[in-house]
Order: sequence, then structure tokens, then C-alpha cells
Amino acid sequence: MLLSVNKLHTWFRHQGRTIKAVDDVSFTIDRGETFCLVGESGSGKSITALSIMRLLPSSNLDRHDGEIRFQAEGGLTVDLSTLSGAQMRQVRGGQIAMIFQEPMSSLNPVFTIGEQILEAVNLHFPELGEEQAWERVMQALREVQLPDPETRIHAYPHQLSGGQRQRVMIAMAMACEPDLLIADEPTTALDVTVQREILRLMKALQQRTGMAILFITHDFGVVSEIADRVGVMQQGKLVEVGQTEQLIRRPQHNYSKALIAALPENLARHEQHLQVAEAEPLIRLKQFQIHFPVRKGLFRRVVDSVRAVDGVDLEIPRGQILALVGESGSGKTTLGRGILRLTEPTGGQVDFDDTDITRLDRRQLRRFRRHMQIIFQDPVSSLNPRLSIAAIITEPMKVHGIGENQDERIEIARDLLAQVQMEEDALWRYPHEFSGGQRQRIGIARALSLDPAFIVCDEITSALDVSVQAEILRMLLQLRAERGLTLLFITHNIGVVEYVSDRTAVMYQGRIVEQGPTDAIINRPQNDYTRQLIAAVPRVRL
Amino acid sequence: MSERPVKRQSYWRRILGQTFVRWGARLGLLWVGILALVGVFAPFLASSFPLLLSQDGALSSPVLEHLQPVDVLFLVAFVAVLALIPMQLTLGRKLLLLAGVLSLSAVLAYTWVSPPKLVIYEQYRVAEAAGRYDWVLYAPVPYSPKDYQRDRGETGLEAPLSNGERTHWFGTEQNGADVLSRMIHASRIALGIGFVATGIAMVLGVIIGGLMGYFSGVVDILGMRLVEIFEAVPTLFLLLTFVAFFGRSLYIMMVIIGITSWPGYARYVRAEFLRLRKQDFVQAAEAAGLPLSSILFRHMLPNGMGPVLVAASFGVAAAILAEATLSFLGLGLVDDPSWGEMLNQAVQSSSFNWWMAAFPGGAIFLTVFAYNLIGESLRDAIDPYLSKSG
Repeated sequence: MLLSVNKLHTWFRHQGRTIKAVDDVSFTIDRGETFCLVGESGSGKSITALSIMRLLPSSNLDRHDGEIRFQAEGGLTVDLSTLSGAQMRQVRGGQIAMIFQEPMSSLNPVFTIGEQILEAVNLHFPELGEEQAWERVMQALREVQLPDPETRIHAYPHQLSGGQRQRVMIAMAMACEPDLLIADEPTTALDVTVQREILRLMKALQQRTGMAILFITHDFGVVSEIADRVGVMQQGKLVEVGQTEQLIRRPQHNYSKALIAALPENLARHEQHLQVAEAEPLIRLKQFQIHFPVRKGLFRRVVDSVRAVDGVDLEIPRGQILALVGESGSGKTTLGRGILRLTEPTGGQVDFDDTDITRLDRRQLRRFRRHMQIIFQDPVSSLNPRLSIAAIITEPMKVHGIGENQDERIEIARDLLAQVQMEEDALWRYPHEFSGGQRQRIGIARALSLDPAFIVCDEITSALDVSVQAEILRMLLQLRAERGLTLLFITHNIGVVEYVSDRTAVMYQGRIVEQGPTDAIINRPQNDYTRQLIAAVPRVRL
Repeated sequence: MSERPVKRQSYWRRILGQTFVRWGARLGLLWVGILALVGVFAPFLASSFPLLLSQDGALSSPVLEHLQPVDVLFLVAFVAVLALIPMQLTLGRKLLLLAGVLSLSAVLAYTWVSPPKLVIYEQYRVAEAAGRYDWVLYAPVPYSPKDYQRDRGETGLEAPLSNGERTHWFGTEQNGADVLSRMIHASRIALGIGFVATGIAMVLGVIIGGLMGYFSGVVDILGMRLVEIFEAVPTLFLLLTFVAFFGRSLYIMMVIIGITSWPGYARYVRAEFLRLRKQDFVQAAEAAGLPLSSILFRHMLPNGMGPVLVAASFGVAAAILAEATLSFLGLGLVDDPSWGEMLNQAVQSSSFNWWMAAFPGGAIFLTVFAYNLIGESLRDAIDPYLSKSG
């Protein structure tokens, strides 16, 4: 038993109230074991980890309570909750190390990565000479398979990619040979192919050093890949602990059942996957391209261009959902905005029915916009914080002359809110009063207010918890069926693609590398990149 | 996931709530409020003319007869603000309405209100001493700022409360005028120059900065050069030059302080607009085909005003200081008292008279301090990283 947490409680002070963030949590981790804490946002999984590390901000920490027994080197068992600040600093980094979600902000931008790892090494092995310490740094970088470590050791964090930074974070954590590594969503900000490499790396390091990992995630795919045992957290409570396979196949607690049932892989398939070839296309892209100029020098001459979207031919059949998948930087968001001319295309054409959108002048385009709408990823920034929901939904209607007067428009807005399953008193509230899922519903209602034929959905569920995601996806499919909507669904989540889309297009470096019926793309990919991408997706083994 | 909806309130109400939860801001607001009240009601607080008097059974109010058009304007503005606050209108509409009422009443006041040209401060005192009135009600400070009290043989430079017959709370200056009365009337100049100069700067800055931020590209490059040119102009020396050429006028001062301090606001607005342009809700507004004016003024401007308002509250303080500096250098207004000019008086007399320096100096200090406190709190309330409840 390396770590045993017994009846851990953590209380927070927030606006004069005391909130139980962690409520009676007990679990154990053995040496060499990977224990996963899963839960939705706000379930207290990160707070649990920070409580173990005693890294919670004292400004709003009320108190914590419970036993955190940690078996240090030499078989000595200490209760971390009783250690002094100085003793705790010895444990941190030396025996328990931690890596975080955001590799950019967890590295200091003004030091080279070598210096940062060296600092950790010097702290925990003060007896090492300078040369030996640098040797250890180099060894750590080699261990995490950072390419070309001899030059990278002098690189600054901004010179590395996200995956490389996360490797550096792991190297920094591993440099002191900890007994326990706490990883707080270490792969959430990374692309799936990079995520796979990092997960493999962590597993390999674990096998070599025998350290234990406490892995925090919200993604059951990742759990299924890496965990030996899983704990499910809900509102500060650990509701169920079990062996990974067992828990995913036969969850006992109601909440775990609901959570696993909400995975896109488990959602009941919608029957009406339309016959692909039959419907004629609503949107047709021909040699569509968006290049961003790179300017240099005194006169800002265009010296080069970034080819965000580079000659795309794509057809979206009427009434169908086309999923556009790809890793970050592949140009899928730019493509989506380019179709709506929110980003000006630099070449090619977009036919909407028979209208070439790229040829419309400003005024025509403004009138045409009611036929095509967009829903955004970030529920926080997609609604104007200064306007009430009524104003947000009715303003576009007013501009396009929908509804005789304001009363009628409010009536329409009420109907729309009912369609996205919101209470009608939401009309008179402001965006900050709603949760992420509710805001996303409002965003959908706003897009529907103009009764468009085509909607671009840009990663609309990736900021949401799985249960909310399931509700939103279900609702979207229903709206599609009722209104005959055509959707371009941009996402990186293959589970969602499978559930929601009729056709799929895979984008890589500004080009569509493969497109076809979703089923064929997922199960029988032809292109090398598609194959690699699909294989990297962590799947829940059911 | 279930989240309880928070209490319903608009963004600005929330920000103001968070601002004035802080004690510093409350004290600052209290002081500015007192100043505003004192400024508006100055003629009724400090005047040699009786508020009311009864002569042979007939009531009359010499104060009202001697009201200047400016005094009327201040009163109208005060009443209009009080009337507008409870109305169910957006902030922009309220401001527009206020501006309309003010300009209308300015025209009316300057055409209709005609106080007697010849001002004889002592006439009522003399008449009272002669026993011609049944009763007389004076203002709390019964001296006008420019009443040198020749009839009483005032020698001037009396320390506070040193004269047994007449109470001068803050003493008198070298001509024999009451210091407190002068300060009360000077508070209008302090408030006026702060608000008008900052208002001019804000309007210019928001327009130019907004255009730079929204259109970017060439407009931005040209705009930034303009900003840099104006930032290089030393305000104080420009003011000195203008005063030398065109004589002393409060309005010229306001305009010059206004048009030399807009670049700061323009920078803030530009940066905010550049940020907001990429925000999803602005993109959504664009995708909905909303007209440019709505995107700019409904969706972008209110969201970008936070830093501008913070800068403005510091700007008011800076404008007050600039006016005080000029007046102290003897380049302020000729005739009307202002706090800076009163400091100048204190320095010019042969002996050091503490009351002439301490009271106006303290007033300048407190006012600038109050605006800085409000600005500081506003900045904390708007900063999402610092937001806390108390």
C-alpha cells in the first residue's frame, strides 16, 4: 500500500458560504498501479489530488480533514496531512510528483527547459555535482523520448510543441524518481495521436520504475487505455471504485451507470442514417482555399502564406450531417468559418443551392446570412454578456424582418427555447446565470432563430461533460429531423462522429484526405493518416 | 450537471456592486457626491444675498434674482439626473436624454435668465442694518466669493474664527473675501473641468480607437501614428501657449486637456476591439447579418468599455490637477476663484497664512484621492482575476 487516503474532507469558503469540495473520500493505491479518478467537471477530482499534495490555495480553503497515509522510502509511513510545510516540500517532487493539464502555463517561459529540470534535480539531490546533475537532466529528457535532447535541453518552452512540453513536464516529474505521479488531465489539451504517445510513454516509465500513477481524467476512453482501477467521483463523493473492466462493463452505482450510458459509443444509434448517395448537395465547395498572408519587413510585403485551407472539394447533401474531423491546426475551424465568409476565402467557390456565396457583395451577403448559421465551441464567449437572452435571440430576427413586432418575436423566442428544452423565464436572464450546457442550448436557439437551412457546428460539445454532451447531441438530431437541417459538424471526437454523422471528411494540413459514409471511414479507412488517427483514438473497451 | 441560476442582474449593476463593496470606493463616492451637491447648490450655500427676506410684508428672494445662467444650468442638470435614474432606459439612452435636456436648458438659460448687471453685495446688509426689513434669512455662509466686504472695513487675512463679530470658518484672504465661500464656488470648476475634459477625451478616444480596432490594417497603422503624435505633445506647455495667445478661459482649458489626453483611451479601446473581434459572440453577430452599427455599438463597445472607464476615473483626477497647476502658476481664470488659484494667493501674500493653503490644498488632495480610489476599485472589479466578494 503506497498511498491510502482515509475519509478525506475538504471544505472551501466561497462568498461567505462553506462548500464541501471533497466529501468523505477513501481509496488506496499500490506500488506500480494506475488508479484513475473520473468524474464530470466540478466533481472534486482535481481538488482531491491537490488535497493530497496540500497545494490548495489557503485564501479560500476552509479546512480539511482525514488521513493521507503515504509509505515513504524505507517503509516508513507518514500522514501527509500532519506534516509541516518544510517536510511537505521534501515529499513534493521527491516522492510525489505532479503534472498538469496545460503544459504551456506550467512551464516558466523565461527559463530553458534544461534549467527548469535542473532546478528540480538540485532541490532533491543536493549532493550531486553540477556535471552529474546536468547528466541527470539529459537522462530524464532521453527517458521521455524527446527528439534530439542535446539541443532541446537549451530550448525555451515556446519553442516546443504541446506534446513535447508535456514530455518535458513528465521528465521534470520523473527526474527525481517519485514513488507516486499525480497526473491531472495531462492529455486533455493534446491531439489524439499525441495523447496516445504520451499515454504509452507513461505506461513504459511506470513499468520501468515501478511508480504508482494517480490519473485524473474525464475521458472513459483514456481510462480504458491506462487504468488498473477506477474511482468515479460525483459532487465530491467517491461513489464507486472497481477494476477498470468490471466498472465499465457492469457499473453498480446509478451515477456510474448514467455516466457510462451517456458515452457517445453507448448512445442508441439513430435509425434514419439516410441513404448517402440519394440526396442532392446543398453545399458544394470547389477548390476552396483560405490562405493567410505572412508579411515581413518595412513595407509589410507578402513574403509567404499560411495555407489554412488549401483546395478543398466537398459536398454536403441536403438534410445530412457531415462530420469534419482532424487534429488541431488542420484547418477545420477555418474551413467552417470560410464557408460562412466569417473568414474571407482567397480562392475557389462555395455554392449554396445555386448561389455562389463567394461572389455576393456585402449587402447581399448580409441578407443571405439568415440561411446559414454557426454554433460555437466555447459556451462562455459565444453569448454577449451584456445582453439579456431575449435580446440575443430576437435581434437577428428583427434585422431580417422575422415577426411583425417585438412581442411576436418574443413569442417566437419562447418557442425556440422550448425546442431546446429551456424554461421560458430564461428570456429575461443574462448569460452568466447559465451553466455551459444551458448556454450551448441558447446558442443553438439563436442559430435557429433565423430558420436557417445550414448550420456549422464548431466543436459544440467539446467543452461539455459527457452527460450534457449526450443531451445536446440527442436534441440536435431531433431538431435536424424536424427541420430538415443540413449540418457541418466539426469535431475531434470520433465517438461523437460515429453517433451523429451520416458522412465524414478527414482533414489534414488544409486538405481533405478522405471522405465518405461515416461507417466506411471509421471501420475501413483507406488513407494512411485516417488509419493512424482512428487507431489513436482511445476507445472504451466494452 | 445542474447549476443553480444566480440572482438576475445586468453586467454593469454587478460591476458597480463589486466596485462599491469596497470601502475606499464608497468613501471616494461619498466625497464626490458631497462635492457635487455643494457645487450644484453653491449659490444657496454661500452668498451675500439673503435667501429670503420680508419687506413691508412682501416676500422676496434676492438669491434667485441674482442667479447666473450657469447656476440655473447646474440645477437643471441635477434635477434631470435625479429624474433619469429611476427610469427604465438603457444607459446610452439616459445619457442621450441628459445631453438633450442640458443643451436645451443652456440655450434657454442664456436667453432668459438675466441677472442684474451691477452687483452690490452690501446693499442688503446696509438695508438690514437700517432696519428696513421685517426679517432676513441668510445662506449658511453669508458671503459671496467675490464679496470683499468693503462696507465692513475688512482688512483681510483673518485667521479662521478669529473675528468676534463675523464667523469666517476658514478665514479670509488678502482682499477680505471669505475662503470657505470661495472654495464652495470653486468646487464647480473642479468638477466641471474633470468631467468635461474627460468626456471630450473619452468620446474622441472611443471613436478613433474603435475604428482602429475594428477595421485594423491601414486604418490601424495611420491611427496609431496619430496616437503617437498626440502622445508626444506636452499638455502643460501647450496649455501655457494657448493661455498666452488666447487669454484665460475655462472652456479652452477643458478642450485642450480633452484633445491631448484621448490617445490613452484610444489605445485601450483599440486593444479591446482587437480582442473582441475574435470573440465568438461578435462572430455570431456577424454571422446573423447584423448591421455594422449594431455590431460596433451593441456588441463590442459595451464589452470594451471597462478599461476605458477605469482610465477615465484616473483621467478626471489628472484633469483637476492640470487645472490646479495652471491656476497655481497664475494662468488660470482671471476672476473666478478656483482651488489652484487660491493656493497661488496663499503663496503670494507676504506672510504664510496656513488657512489659505491648507483648505484648498486639502480639497484638491481629497478629490484626486477620491477619484483614484474609485478608479482602483473599478479596475479590481473589472479584472476577472481579482474578482472577489469583499
